Parts: sequence; structure tokens; C-alpha cells
Amino acid sequence: MNLLNRLLREREYGLTAVILIIGASVAFIDTGFLAAGNLKDLIIRCAPTCIVACGVMLVVLTGEIDISVGSLMALLAALMGMMISETRMELSMWLGIPATLMLGTLVGAFTGALVTFGKVPSIIVTLGLLTALRGLTTLIMGGNNIDGLPDGLGQMTKYGVLGMPISVWTAIVVIIITGMIITQTALGRRLFAVGGSRYSAKMVGLSETRLKLFVFAYTGFLTGLATVVDIPRLPKIEAGIGIGFELLVITCVVVGGVSISGGRGKLRGVLLAVLLMTMIRPALTFMDVGESGEKWTRAIQGMFILLAVITDSIAQRRRQRRIHDH
Amino acid sequence: MTIRERLRKFRWWHELGLVILIISLLVAAGTLMPRFLDIKSQLLLSRHIWEMAILALGMTLIIITGGIDLSVGAAMGLCAVAFGMTFQYTGSLALSCVAAMLTGGLGGAVNGVLISKIKVHPLIVTLATYAAFRGIAEGLSQGVSYSQFGEAFSQIARGKWFGVPIPAYLFLALAVGFAVFLSKTPTGRFLYAIGHNERAARFSGIRVDRIKFWLYATSGMLAGLATVIYISRFNTAKADAGTGFELDVITAVVVGGTSIFGGRGNIAGTVLGLLLIHETRLFVGRYWQVDELKSIIIGALLIASILLYRILSPKKGRE
Amino acid sequence: MTIYTLMKRKLLILTLTVSAILLGCSGDKESKPTPIQGGDNTAKTVTVGLLPKIKGIAYFSSCAEGAREAAAELGNIELIYDGPTDGDPKKQAEMIESWTVDGVDVIAVSPNAPDVVANAMKEAMAEGVQVITWDADAAADTRSYFVNQATAQSIGEGMVNVMIDDLGPDTEGDVVIISSDATSANQNSWIDVMKPAIENSNLNLATIKYPGENASQALADSQDVIKKYPNLIGLFGISSVSFPGAAEAVEQTGHSGKVLVTGLSTPNDMKKFVHSGTVRSVVLWNTVDLGYLTIYVAEALATGKFEKGATTFTAGRLGEKEIVGDNVLLGDILVFTKDNIDNYDF
Repeated sequence: MNLLNRLLREREYGLTAVILIIGASVAFIDTGFLAAGNLKDLIIRCAPTCIVACGVMLVVLTGEIDISVGSLMALLAALMGMMISETRMELSMWLGIPATLMLGTLVGAFTGALVTFGKVPSIIVTLGLLTALRGLTTLIMGGNNIDGLPDGLGQMTKYGVLGMPISVWTAIVVIIITGMIITQTALGRRLFAVGGSRYSAKMVGLSETRLKLFVFAYTGFLTGLATVVDIPRLPKIEAGIGIGFELLVITCVVVGGVSISGGRGKLRGVLLAVLLMTMIRPALTFMDVGESGEKWTRAIQGMFILLAVITDSIAQRRRQRRIHDH
Repeated sequence: MTIRERLRKFRWWHELGLVILIISLLVAAGTLMPRFLDIKSQLLLSRHIWEMAILALGMTLIIITGGIDLSVGAAMGLCAVAFGMTFQYTGSLALSCVAAMLTGGLGGAVNGVLISKIKVHPLIVTLATYAAFRGIAEGLSQGVSYSQFGEAFSQIARGKWFGVPIPAYLFLALAVGFAVFLSKTPTGRFLYAIGHNERAARFSGIRVDRIKFWLYATSGMLAGLATVIYISRFNTAKADAGTGFELDVITAVVVGGTSIFGGRGNIAGTVLGLLLIHETRLFVGRYWQVDELKSIIIGALLIASILLYRILSPKKGRE
Repeated sequence: MTIYTLMKRKLLILTLTVSAILLGCSGDKESKPTPIQGGDNTAKTVTVGLLPKIKGIAYFSSCAEGAREAAAELGNIELIYDGPTDGDPKKQAEMIESWTVDGVDVIAVSPNAPDVVANAMKEAMAEGVQVITWDADAAADTRSYFVNQATAQSIGEGMVNVMIDDLGPDTEGDVVIISSDATSANQNSWIDVMKPAIENSNLNLATIKYPGENASQALADSQDVIKKYPNLIGLFGISSVSFPGAAEAVEQTGHSGKVLVTGLSTPNDMKKFVHSGTVRSVVLWNTVDLGYLTIYVAEALATGKFEKGATTFTAGRLGEKEIVGDNVLLGDILVFTKDNIDNYDF
């Protein structure tokens, strides 16, 4: 019972256990699942989700939410393509990429401003942006795909440097920086204070406004970063990029054990959740579930989320009961 | 009572604002496109909104308690598959309708149990069931679409009584019922108490868990009902029924003045919100004929309406 | 500040908003496109609503290009090109209903799910609107003519035949289909044709993947099946998202030359893969001509020029096109290869 308790109590242990169990059982059916090439692909797919989840996690820690990242990614991809593609404006990559990052930060800051100064709940602002930005992207792309991104960018995002695409290196840097923000800085401690109890945060005199502006702008910036390092990997830029990405990111944050009302959560948990959510689909492929099984993929993904959510809640109650007992 | 006192007692500012917005939209639309105001075509095109409108009633109650239901659209997919499979095996439309409603109710009950008994946040529960319901619907039906329910069945959504579409009567009856429940019954008033302060509501003896359970179960049943109309309208039952509905419904409820944090809102506001969104979408679609504009304008309308309310609200910092 | 003054201010701002909206709308009045009129003033203007399955994807944009070309040539056409940007067939039905109310003369539908739009199309016909289908057909009693570029049968068989021809008829091995959503009506109808065709060949259908209209997922799923099935020799990408995704996956995993990719997409999207050798043949038809022919048929139907029972139809630069039953035929599907793909720009 001790082990079970521990697995339930610590989100990271539970997730690690589930990941190991899935990995082992799929490898039992087909050892190819654990081949180096496959693991590498898995890490590459995790990278953009990890990058953006780092931002959204901070947003959720402050008690807010951001469900606009998928549409923002599509808009930024379209704008980046228009700027640097050799069939469009043909700007230098070294001009277009910083511009993309800046635009992402600006949209994020705009979201933050509406939430803090405009006092509009973040779920409403980002719900509005989710629809509006997608429409805007389709409108400005005018039904034409964009290709012809600079070769150098394609090479770096597909094959990369030192054996890994730049998206993976970027993700590592972002994770380290975000980890340091959370644990090492006064800003990080403020995050938990604001999310945990707005009242007490105000009493200590922390600026909630500036903090929230920062987390939204940071998320916008990271969305831009993920766009720049991951989208050129795809064959072309189209209006449908990033559909459903916002829900994937939120799911990872929640499954990773970050409390949706803010104030509680660990970066490790979120990263493990990203790995888990990313590995379910390839795991099913390697289990060779067959033609009709393929159509159950979404149901199985949904069940995993449900399971994670229920166990977390039960674990939390156990924890509370222990506190009461002592 | 002086005018000033009357004004102070007036509680319907948000609704008044919506009415003014709707009227000005109609005036503008009528000027630019006179045939837009034609009653007959308005009634005909009203069929684009009834399923959403029915879902919005349940959603209003849920959001008033401070909850949310992201799974309604996916639940419609599940209900549609239940309807289609029942029809395939029994050939009875009545049984199929019952199956759709029951499936919806069951799905809603799952949400309800997880929220009220296991105490998971509604946003998380329904985000999970959003994925699960749609996935199960796809798996069960294997992506097949069920069709050929006959001409008579399609009259539920397309037929008219005295020139008014049949779903309109259904919606009006439901809307009145929900409005009376919300404003006149003790349980209805408890919803506001829960939304304001759940802990206080609990301590004052309100059976919060039971109420919440039934709210989500009702929302599921309404999804079943909406699915029946949806299937009748398109003569097709398929796992993709209701895709994207959840966001449209939440938008309508929030534009209608229900606070996303709970504790404030009413059915009249929701009805006006639905009307505003429906007419906006209709006008943009018919006048500019650019589908992308609809989502841009609805998204902007959502943010702008709440921003405006926040700026103009006499009581600042209410959260 | 008292509540009273706040209320006054609130009303003032509301009024301002209202006037802003009114001004904004009337300001746009001038920018609304006026119908293109020909020199002949007596010619009746025909309003044609051209409804794609999905607006905003390259395939239908190229069809629209051809449609605009035809409208400009004919001179008496007011062309409306609009469709759901998310490909939701429910919204297609709703657009047909709106257009019917607004008195559009001809509605040309590319149904994304024929059952879903059937009722709306029947109602439009009952209101006296000429309803035709293009690109994909619907039930015969919901439209008068179908501008037919390819049936599900010829598309499905075309893809399998191209794969067999390119691999060599005796080659044995696994193939995988990368589709769209599990509920996509068109893709499912092609799969129904492809399955028996693959069964009757030396190929073996290992599995079918449903990544949806999601480019990253299509790329990821293709990478996974390449690793999972060592005997894989062919991938079918049967949507404009999954075809480039599958080709990209083959190149990124270094399987170019070992796994052949074929499928349906526009030539512009596939040129680079055809030139690199990952893709040898792309199956499609001339989409620009398809849009062009559709508008010619629509105009002829609305002005009564279309003769019932005729076996040919003359459409501008396309010349004579065959009519079989109620199908106006564009011609056979095209197979784009290294030799001819650069001749097409759409």
C-alpha cells in the first residue's frame, strides 16, 4: 500500500509509472517502439508542446487560462511565411524570425492587457481570440498555401545540429529558463502567491497586473518560438496549422498536475504529461490495433485524460485526509 | 419613487444594452439589405440556431453555478451514434429518440458524478469527456453515417405550425420553464448562491452536490434533445454531430450577460445573446459572403461585449 | 460618481457604439463588389453561388480561379464564392438555405457529405433555384446536373493503379492509407473502392491512419508506420494535407526510393516531391478547368441555353465536353509526373 500511496500522492511518480508501463508493454509487442530512431522522433514531437506548455503552465499557475495558442500559432506561421518565403516578400530570415517572435509577444501582451486592465476573464479573451485569429489567418492567406521557406531553416528544423533539430535544443533552453523562473526568482514565488490566494498576494503588495502581463506575453513569445522552430518542418504552411493545439497544451498542463485554479503545480509533471500524451498515438500504431482499432484512437486518448484527472483528484483527497488525521 | 430611485432599482441594463445592439444591427442590416428583414426568410433561417439555443439553456444554469460544460458538442456526437445504431437495430424512430436522450443524460451524469462526488473542476472533467465522448462515438460507429430516417421525421426540424418552425415552440416552452425555475423556485435561486460562494451555500444547507449532479445530467439530456433536432434537420446521424458547438454556446451565454465566474445571469439575457449572435452571423454571411469574417466578428463581439460591460459596470472589482 | 451619472454615461457609450456600427456598415457599402456586366445591356445577370467543401484550401482556391475566369468571359455572371472554412457540411447546408432565400439563380455545390446537404438542396430546387453539383456528386433527386471530373470509383482505382504501375505489377509488400478524419465522407468513399482494388493486387493493406486535417499529425503518423512496417513499399495520402505529410515523412526518415508515395493533391503542393523522386505520380484533374466548366454549365442552365438531351456542351476555351445522362464530363483524371507537372500552375 505504501508504494500505491506514493504513486497516487506524487503526480510525477504516477505519470512516470504509466509511461514506463506503456513503453514496456508496447515494446513487448514490438521492440521497434524503443528503437533509437523512434525515441528521437518522439522527443521531436514533444518539443513544440513542451515550449508552449511552459508558458501556459505559468498562466494557469496565476489562476488564468489561455486557449488561444493554436490559432495564434497558425497566424504567426502565416505571417512568418509571408515575410520570409522566397515566393512572397523574401525578407531575410534574420529579420522575419525576430519579427515573428515580436508579433507573438505583442498578441500575448494584448491578451494580458485585456485580462488585467480590461478586467475581461482570460477564458473569454482567449476564447474570442481562438475563433477570431483562426478566421483572420484564413482571410489573410486567401486560400493559398505558402512554401519556399529558406532552405537553411528547413534543414535546421528537420535535421538540425548535433543530431537533433533546433526545436529540441530550443525546448531544452526554454525548460531550463522556465524552471529557473519558477524556482530561483522572486517572480516565480509571486506566481504561486497570486494563484494560491489573490488576497494574500495583494496584502504583501505584489503587482498582480505586471505578473499577469508577463505570463501572457511570455506565452505569446513561446508560441512564436514554437512556430519558428517547428512549423518549417512541415511540407507547407496552411491555414489549418495548430487546430486543437490549445486543447492538447491545456490537457498536458492539467494532466501534469497543475491546479486549474492556480497556485499549485510542477514543471516536471507537465513535461511528463507532454511525453505521455505524445506517445499514446505512436504506441497504438506499434501495437498494430488494426483498421477498426484506429478509429478508437481518440476514445483511448480521452480515457487516459479522464483516468489521470480522476486519480489526481482521489490523490488530493487522500492528502487532505492525512492532513486532517495528523 | 423618484426617477433616480427607479433607475437605481433597474436591474436590466445588460439586457437593455443587448436589445439596443440587436435593434441597431437590424436597422443597419435592413438599410443595407432590405430583404434581410423579411419575416418569412428570418423564420426559415432561424433553424440554424435551435440546437444551439436548447444547449444554451442548460449551459446558462451551469455557468451561473460557476461551472462550465465543454462536452456538450461531443455529447451530441455520442447521442447521434446512439440514435443511429438504435434505428439500425430496431427501426423505431421513437426508440431512437429515447436512446439519444438517455445517452445524453448518461453522459451528463458521468460529468455530474465526477464534478460533485469526486470533486474535479468542471473545466477539467468536461475537457476530458469532450475528448472521450467524441472518441467513443467514432469508435462505436466506425465513422459510418446513419441516414434515411424518412420524410416525416425531417418535419421535426423543418416543419411549421402556423408559419412558425416547430423547434421554436419546443425552445420557447423550455426557455419559459428554465426561466421560471431559475427565478421563482428556491432551487433556482440556490444556483446563484452556489455561484457566488459555494462554501457558504454548502454551510447554509443547500445540497450543492445533488444540484450540481442534476444540472450536468440535464445539460446532457438537452444535448440528446438537440441531437434529435439536428438529425431531423440533416437527415444524418454521425459521430461528428455538434462539432464546435460548445464554444458557440458558451459565447452566446456569456454575451448574454452570464458571468463566467458564476453568480450572475438569466435566461432572458441568454435568449438575447443567442439572437444577437444568430443575426450577426446571418447578416455577415448574407451580406459579405465571406465565411472567415463570421468568426472574426463573433470573436471580437465576445471580447468587446464583456470589455464594455466591465468598463461601464457601476460596481467595479466585483470579483 | 453616482450610479445615475454612470448610467447616463453607459447609455451615451452605447449610442456611440451603435452609431459606429451603423457608420462602419454604411462605409462598406461602396466597397461591395458590383456584378460584372457585359457590353450587352439586355443580358440578364445570373447570380451563381459556388460552394466548395472547404474554403481556404489550395485545391478549391484553384477551382475558384477558373470560375472567376469563366465569369469574366461570360460577362453576365455575378459569382459568389463562399464556403465553410472548417469544412463543416452542416454549414454548407446553411449557406445553401441563405442563398436560396437571397434569390441566387444557380447554386453549384461540392457536397462534403451528400446526405447532410440533401434537404437544403431539395428545398432550393423547390424554390426554383437551379441546383447542380460539381467536384463531388449528391443523390440524383437533389440536383439537375453533375459537373463530373471523376467518380469515387475512378479516383480510388486511379490511385491504386498508379501505385501498382509505378512499383511494377509484380512487386509485393505492405501499403498504408493516410486518410483524413475517421468521419470524412469523401475519403471513406474512396477507401471503400481502394480496399478491394488493393486486395486484388500483390499489395497488402497494413492499416489506415486517420490524422485529421492536421499537418503535424499526418507527418507523425506517416513516420510511425514507416518504422512499424518494415515491408512497407507504398503510402497513399488521400487528402491535400496527408499527401504532402506522407511525402515529407518519407524524405525525413530517409526512405525516399524505398517507400513510394502517391495520392491526391494539387501539383503546386507536390512539385518538390515529384522532382526529388519521393513521389512519382500525383493523381488529380485540372481543377482550374473544373471551376471554369462549372460556371459555363451554370450560366447555360440559368439562361435556358442548356438543351435537354444534348450529348455535348460547348464551354469556352475548353471546347466541346461530353454529356452522359445528367453528368457533364470534364474528362479523365490527370496523372502528374516529373515530365508534365511543371506545365501546371495551380
